[in-house]
Amino acid sequence: MRKISQNFLFYFLLITILVGTLFPIYWMIINSFKDNTEILTGKSLFWPSRWRIENYRDMWRNINFGLYLRNSFIVCGLTMLIAMVLSTLAAYSLSRFKFPGKRIINDSILATQMVPGIMFLIPIYLMFVRFHSLTNIQLIGTFPGLIFVYSTFFVPFSVWILQGFFAAIPYEIEEAALIDGCSRLQIFLKIVLPLAAPGITATGIYIFLTAWDELMFAWVLTQADTITIPVGIRLFVGNYQNRYDLMMAASTVATLPVIILFFAMQKHIIRGLTAGAVKG
Amino acid sequence: MKIKSTIQEIREKSYAYMFILPMVMGMLIIHFIPMLIGIIMSFLDLNQYTLSKYLSAPFVGFRNYFDVLFNPKSTIRIGLLQAVRNTIIYTIGVTGGTLTIGMIVALMLNKNFIGRRLVRTLFLFPWIVPTYVTGLLWAFIWNHEIGVVNYILTKVLNIVEKPPFWLMGPNTLWAIIVPTVWRYWPFAMLMLLAGLQTIPDELYESASIDGANEWQKFWHITIPSLKPVWSTLLLVNLITNVYSFNIVIMMFGHGAGFPGEWGDLLMTNIFRNSFQLWQYSKGAAASIVLMICMIGIVAIWYKLFREKW
Repeated sequence: MRKISQNFLFYFLLITILVGTLFPIYWMIINSFKDNTEILTGKSLFWPSRWRIENYRDMWRNINFGLYLRNSFIVCGLTMLIAMVLSTLAAYSLSRFKFPGKRIINDSILATQMVPGIMFLIPIYLMFVRFHSLTNIQLIGTFPGLIFVYSTFFVPFSVWILQGFFAAIPYEIEEAALIDGCSRLQIFLKIVLPLAAPGITATGIYIFLTAWDELMFAWVLTQADTITIPVGIRLFVGNYQNRYDLMMAASTVATLPVIILFFAMQKHIIRGLTAGAVKG
Repeated sequence: MKIKSTIQEIREKSYAYMFILPMVMGMLIIHFIPMLIGIIMSFLDLNQYTLSKYLSAPFVGFRNYFDVLFNPKSTIRIGLLQAVRNTIIYTIGVTGGTLTIGMIVALMLNKNFIGRRLVRTLFLFPWIVPTYVTGLLWAFIWNHEIGVVNYILTKVLNIVEKPPFWLMGPNTLWAIIVPTVWRYWPFAMLMLLAGLQTIPDELYESASIDGANEWQKFWHITIPSLKPVWSTLLLVNLITNVYSFNIVIMMFGHGAGFPGEWGDLLMTNIFRNSFQLWQYSKGAAASIVLMICMIGIVAIWYKLFREKW
């Protein structure tokens, strides 16, 4: 009897938290299909009286969402690739070699995480202005500028996660390869990289998700044709204050790509992120 | 032999430096030089008129710091103390909520039941929703007239008669804490669950033989064993929440409004002062003061959680 009531309590709590967790997402999707007057008058609250797929067409027509989506994919994709290369190289170096300056680099990786992003924002903006007047290369409002900032910005945290993965690869494997006459570079490319691939994949996706979520820098460093989704959505809702239907449709479209990416790669991400954390 | 090993050592080191060089270069340009400029900026009078002069703007010494810390009449002080108060409450609320719910759900998922994997996947959903969408969505949920929270309170549960304002007055603190907890607890749960699975069953079994109850087992085995995980989560949460920006900025006026004196956080405050009121130097001074406080917090954290091991 006690067992049954315990079980009941367990499932009751589980289902309550599950409903609380998923309800806001359900709410976002359901409202993206409603008629706006239905939202404003509070009719047919939990289920639309008619599914208005037209909302998505209207949203697409009202803002240049296709452009924002394309821009976000370009920026986040390239950021992911560059940051993965940078952080893989650095993390391998930090976890395998002893060299003067290693401690300082390790400490400054941690230190960068303690600085509020806003502190970099104005100086970087000023630096880019200066760079433009010196070299005539425009970095503000262009892809290279934003990608450059992003790809270095997410490196410290990635290095931190990746170090755990490289540390987990037994050094004996590399020593054996060294004795067999492999060069360091060969060892890195042919032995270490394949072994660390799951961790590198996880880190890469994590970088993509973080870049997809970045608003503050994109706000200042993008212009008309390089605007990414967060800035685009902000502009959009500024212009359509009470069009909750379109707002929710835009939110759904902005969430969908990362949801798909996450659940396609879920196994890698979970294994990757937890492996680093448990060691502490 | 000795020479050979020295050569090899040099070659090893050159690899080490070659591998790390790209990152160091990037960090130099994107982290350290801007930080240096930021520090210089905080000693200048940089506003919309002097911006074009760049770093040759008039030097004012510690005046910006004085304005931020001790001068109640300064323009940057408007709302700053409220922002400090809100940030402290917000950070404690979100960190506490995130870790508590994360721990409860991790313990539940650590049991065997049908559909466990599916439930874990479903729980991760909020963590993938972009933060700017989170802010937008919850502003809609909290809405006074058409928000679903007020609908449930007044029409479904009938607990309150007059629907409360969630995005005005002290309620605002709840309105920003709840979405942030909603967005971040799945990550804490994931980490804690991974930690739970590494605790050997024998520990619990021998405790049972010694007659320990569930609560004692939790307090004396689970909590200490998970210390590396929850202490890391504590630090990550402290930093992200003190520097929280996206969720709150998107909740008010769709990313252009003032969050009100009970919703304004330090980041939104400094951002507004820097970019909407053009007080670049005072904004820089405020963020440096904040950063120094943060370094203090992290130092305390290190003393508490890392030195003893």
